[in-house]
Amino acid sequence: MSVRALWIVSHEKGENVSIRFSRRFSTVEHRAKCLAGSSYVAVPEDGTVLQLLLTELGLSEPDKTYVALRDDCLHRQRSPALELHVDGPGKGILWPVLAVSQGPLILACLCLVDAPPEPRPPLANLLSVSQGLTLLAGLQTFLLGSGNKPDSEGPASRLAMLPSVLLQVCPLGTPLDLPALGAPGTAPTPAGNQKQPAWKTGLYRGRAVVNVALIETVRSMQYGNPSTQDLWDVYGTVTCKCEVEGVLPNVTVTLTLPPNGSPLQDILVHPCVTSLDSSILTASSVDNSDSSAFSGPYKFPFSPPLEPFRLCSYTSQVPVPPILGSYQLKEEENQLRVSVTLKLHESVKNSFEYCEAHLPFFNRDQMGVVDVKVSSGQLDVSKEKNLLVWTLGQRFPKSREVMMEGRITFSGPTPGPTDPLCTELTAYIKLYFKVPDITLSGSCVDQHSVQVYSSAKPRIATSRELQSKEYFIWNSAEELGVQDTRATPRSDSPTSVALHQPDN
Amino acid sequence: MAVNWADRVSAFSRSPSHFLSGTTAEAFLAELLRELRDDRAGYNVKVLLLSPLCEHPTLLCPSDSVGEETALELMSVFAQCPPKSVQFRCHLLLALTSVLVCTSCVSSRSPVSQDFLDLLLQLSQDPGDLHGDGALHSLRATACDCLRELEACSPGYLSQHIELLGGLRQRETSRFHQAYTGLHTLVLRNAVYQLTQETGAGAEQLKVLLGGNTSVAWEADQDSGRTNNTDSGVLFSLILGPMGSVPTLQTGLDCKELRSILSSLLEESYLLTPLCQAALLHRLTELVAMVPGVPPAIFRAQLLRLLGTSKVCLLHTTLLMKCAFTDSLFSAEDEAFILKRLVVLSQHPLLSTPEKLFYMDCILHFPENRPISCSDRDETLPVLLTPRLASALMPTVFNDSATMLARLNLLSLVYLEEGEEGEGGEGRGVANLYDHLMSLLHIVDSGGSREIVVTFFRAAFLFLLYFYHMERYSSSLVEKLCELYLRHTQLAPHLISLADHTQDSLSESDWAEELLKALQRVITEAPLAKLNLQDLRCHLKMLARVAEEGKIPQCSTLRFLSIIAPLPSSLCVSGDWRLGTSVLGVCRRLLVHPSLDSLLVPLADILQDLTCCYGDTDIQDHARLYYALLTTLSREKLTGVLAQGATEGGRQIKKRSMSSIVAESEGLRSALTIHQTKKTNAQVFSIRLHFNLTDEHYEELSDISVPCLFRERSSPMVKLRLKPLHPYPTTLQASAIFTTQDGLSWHTILPDIHVAFQQVFTPLPAPSAWGRGGKLDLFEGLWDELCSEGGDCATSLFCCQLKEGALMSLVEKHFLLYLISDWSHKEECKVLFFLPPQSHVLLKITTEEDAVHFDIATDNWQLLPHITSYLLTITSSQDDTHS
Repeated sequence: MSVRALWIVSHEKGENVSIRFSRRFSTVEHRAKCLAGSSYVAVPEDGTVLQLLLTELGLSEPDKTYVALRDDCLHRQRSPALELHVDGPGKGILWPVLAVSQGPLILACLCLVDAPPEPRPPLANLLSVSQGLTLLAGLQTFLLGSGNKPDSEGPASRLAMLPSVLLQVCPLGTPLDLPALGAPGTAPTPAGNQKQPAWKTGLYRGRAVVNVALIETVRSMQYGNPSTQDLWDVYGTVTCKCEVEGVLPNVTVTLTLPPNGSPLQDILVHPCVTSLDSSILTASSVDNSDSSAFSGPYKFPFSPPLEPFRLCSYTSQVPVPPILGSYQLKEEENQLRVSVTLKLHESVKNSFEYCEAHLPFFNRDQMGVVDVKVSSGQLDVSKEKNLLVWTLGQRFPKSREVMMEGRITFSGPTPGPTDPLCTELTAYIKLYFKVPDITLSGSCVDQHSVQVYSSAKPRIATSRELQSKEYFIWNSAEELGVQDTRATPRSDSPTSVALHQPDN
Repeated sequence: MAVNWADRVSAFSRSPSHFLSGTTAEAFLAELLRELRDDRAGYNVKVLLLSPLCEHPTLLCPSDSVGEETALELMSVFAQCPPKSVQFRCHLLLALTSVLVCTSCVSSRSPVSQDFLDLLLQLSQDPGDLHGDGALHSLRATACDCLRELEACSPGYLSQHIELLGGLRQRETSRFHQAYTGLHTLVLRNAVYQLTQETGAGAEQLKVLLGGNTSVAWEADQDSGRTNNTDSGVLFSLILGPMGSVPTLQTGLDCKELRSILSSLLEESYLLTPLCQAALLHRLTELVAMVPGVPPAIFRAQLLRLLGTSKVCLLHTTLLMKCAFTDSLFSAEDEAFILKRLVVLSQHPLLSTPEKLFYMDCILHFPENRPISCSDRDETLPVLLTPRLASALMPTVFNDSATMLARLNLLSLVYLEEGEEGEGGEGRGVANLYDHLMSLLHIVDSGGSREIVVTFFRAAFLFLLYFYHMERYSSSLVEKLCELYLRHTQLAPHLISLADHTQDSLSESDWAEELLKALQRVITEAPLAKLNLQDLRCHLKMLARVAEEGKIPQCSTLRFLSIIAPLPSSLCVSGDWRLGTSVLGVCRRLLVHPSLDSLLVPLADILQDLTCCYGDTDIQDHARLYYALLTTLSREKLTGVLAQGATEGGRQIKKRSMSSIVAESEGLRSALTIHQTKKTNAQVFSIRLHFNLTDEHYEELSDISVPCLFRERSSPMVKLRLKPLHPYPTTLQASAIFTTQDGLSWHTILPDIHVAFQQVFTPLPAPSAWGRGGKLDLFEGLWDELCSEGGDCATSLFCCQLKEGALMSLVEKHFLLYLISDWSHKEECKVLFFLPPQSHVLLKITTEEDAVHFDIATDNWQLLPHITSYLLTITSSQDDTHS
């Protein structure tokens, strides 16, 4: 249940690599020695660990196309735990090493194996693995912030705080807690016989304020092709910030669905939720959907921590995507003919915070003549001349349908960006939109359904919104050989996209 | 000048060995301790100073006694430290724990560790701090953490304090109750484990343990504590899957006390952080598993909360619980639910990649209630994981590499099983996976990044691992890979790696051979006109690998080489060394190919071409060597010599080497060069003995060859003929070069050979017709001449005590060959040594009253010291035997 050592490495795409922080837990190492007996492998010095780690992560020697140790096809890249192959006098394999990588930082730890070393036990038997994963995720959030963008002041100042942070959260190699993100709470006050939760750093004093934000995210892959099924999925998160007096105050948030709503699935809850009704957990996205399944209300009684937290998350199966698109791209006499239709579903409120469609072009020269008309909104050519940005603004026209039609020549002086996937006519539109005050699943948190058991009348605010993420519409004029039945794009990078097989 | 401690300490942590090469551990430790005692140093610096002790205590305290002294020092620093320096005091406790545990002061129960234990216990129950400020709470929490670590490293260390710790846990209401809970649970778990190891222990002993009759418990602990020092079983997790067995304590149903403690711990588990909650539940699972009197149902109230959790460590604990209790806590419905949950979590949009990978790993090691097989090590599919359920984990090209490979692996297992159970055919599942592989191939083809390339080949390897027997896919894959290769020849090392590993992992399949054969075909049949240097290099690399396959005919390869080798424009004249080595790399493998006989002439031609025309001398030389080997060595010897390099070097080394020829010639050198050895060999061939002179008194010796040697036969005698230039004793250095059965040549140093003075003696080289009289005349003539002449001549007298009989036996033993006088003529023996090339030593031995006189005359005065020492040796040994 402990980690033997912890490293934090910074790098820039495999270059300028350095260990920014490392900590060895000598007493855990002492236990590791007893547990492993003759198969014990000592942890080498930081420089060696760094090299081994980079090799395992495929980051070593970035200028070489093939390095056997790094690129071998026997490599078990699919495991969450790495093996470090230590050479030299202390020869052996260090395992399991967990590593998480985000932006410029790699965080890694070596877990204690509290099982007979031979044969190697499965990861699933080692509690230290999930503890290590939790610790690394916590440190990652502490160093880089919870969003995708790193903390503006940079991780340097956070790194400097690590020694004192570790004294709190992992003094002797056994992770106890995750680093607190905000300022430490108010001083703990003796509170009679009621035990204070360990995850609550202090007590709140003042009027009770409860904020509940429900955000639904929709992802989609639309191919406009009868042979290939369009895909979309929806997931929601409920984030709370509760300022309520008392050591262990009770709050209940209730999620409700409209009468015909399909059940919320795959519900995950924050550990501060005190109890759950088993019916809440039954619906699952990987199961045959059962229309008679429990469809709310979903009650989540909990005792809130001081900081904002994600109370619960769910997925939902909605019958149609909010915006149905069609994208046709055809080659005509050295130019491309573009034809796009976007249709807003009638169930979606026609009131956006923003809505934009991006049409990138790869493996071509820059755009020359752009002779394209749109029925609504505004069209811009990006500065680099490889992207059309169609700004649809706050609302669709009354018909709920917008169109783009026209021709583009690619006669610019310099070649545009390349992409191994979007070759020839394989192309996509990516939609970015946010709609306040709706959810696709129909779920909502009614302000009056939030119960706070406190003496004073609490101030309660709830909100909900729908946002898009990885919302793609592919060129339907091009035969797409799509085999991936549940395509879930992972990033905005075009290199991670495409399923094009002209041969088939 | 002030020392920059931040830099020094970070230099130490970065590389302790490098740091300590500039100083000693002892000196550095002394420095650290001095600074820690220094009142002028700030506490921020002092915290820093403790980190080397925390992280590398055994480096700084190499022995227990140093550890003890260091701990004493730290204890006194702690005692003198003002209470408000809480952070520093916390770090001090950690450093003390590290030093005492790692130098085994704790396990040997040394006095200082007992003092430290008392200090920690005192801190942990300090009532004065109960209503103090938060900072002081943290000192108590750290003390608890240290106590827990002592108990973790030395199980049973605190078992006498169970009741006290339980009380402290209940009393604590600040958020630091978590530290007490962790401590109490661990001590309880270890104590119960110890009870299970004691024969006859049961409910009564458990009650004593929990009920606070500490004296009894203490005695038990003392005993078991000692025995447990060597037993690491208590350190192991007790939840090990179907193969593990848990030691149990038979209590019957009468364990009220334990149950009530467990209930209260479980009730408060919600108040702990997820990490500590997981640890607590894990310990409690072990406890309940050890005490069958407590039903696992005690956990039931927590289950729903745990199953719904978003935290990986809490869900993991639930899985471990399932592993420990199977159907005594989890129904078949629960099992299905948990599995579904794992599938959901393995692809949940809100979870991180490592978490999802971990959940997929958990699916493949799913703790089933009724596992069919008992192997809990290999990846196996849970029975309930249907293809339909698993289809949620279909890999897509949008996955990151690790996720995609993990999904591919899992789905392959699913469809492999489906295929076997179903119509024995190839379900749509495998086809989907193959299509996915082809999508990846297409991305690689369109110029995907290095990461995608590597991922594709790993995916291909995984796919083959499961489906190599499905002809339809495996042969199609060969075809697609060949097309891909021709368009992207730089993929050669990836393809070679794929061939190597499929060959190693799938011994029953000849897929790798098929791939290589197909690659050979496309390379040799492709139009040469379009070939650039880069492609050519890759082709040669590929063909070299193809040539390693004994079953693949190499004619087309040779044809290819014979076309490119004499190409006057590009290859030969350019004299590119790397290209030349690549060509030679192929030739080198062809030299050992089983079908060499049919390749002989064209191969010789190619080598000849390279020798004559190639624009690089090194390549020419190499080619000449290969040519010589090919044309002069017998087939067997050639194979022996070259195969040696191949097997010794092995594929690994070749792969890691930048250019193939380097490894090649290394292998060759290994076969053709001579190795140093001291080992003895059972069967050696063709020994060649070589001798070196240590002075200039003899002529150089030529080498001696011994054709064959067998250990079990009597060894042949070797006679050395020495030709002296000066007749002095000497020492010869000898060495042997020999060949062993494995075809390697070895060099070994033999013991020195000493040539004694007397070994130079030869009898008078007089014609046999002379008879004794003639020899006597010569002797007398010589004697007179030597006595009268100057120059190099000299006379001397050597005397010694010898009885008559002794003298007689001495003469008989040493001088008989050289005796000139008659054997019966005992008054005066005349002896003549001829020492080639041209020296003489004459002796007249007479027995006088006082002693035996050896009158010596020689024509080489430099021999006198040797003669004296020789006479001394023989007479004294004679003396010994007769006295």
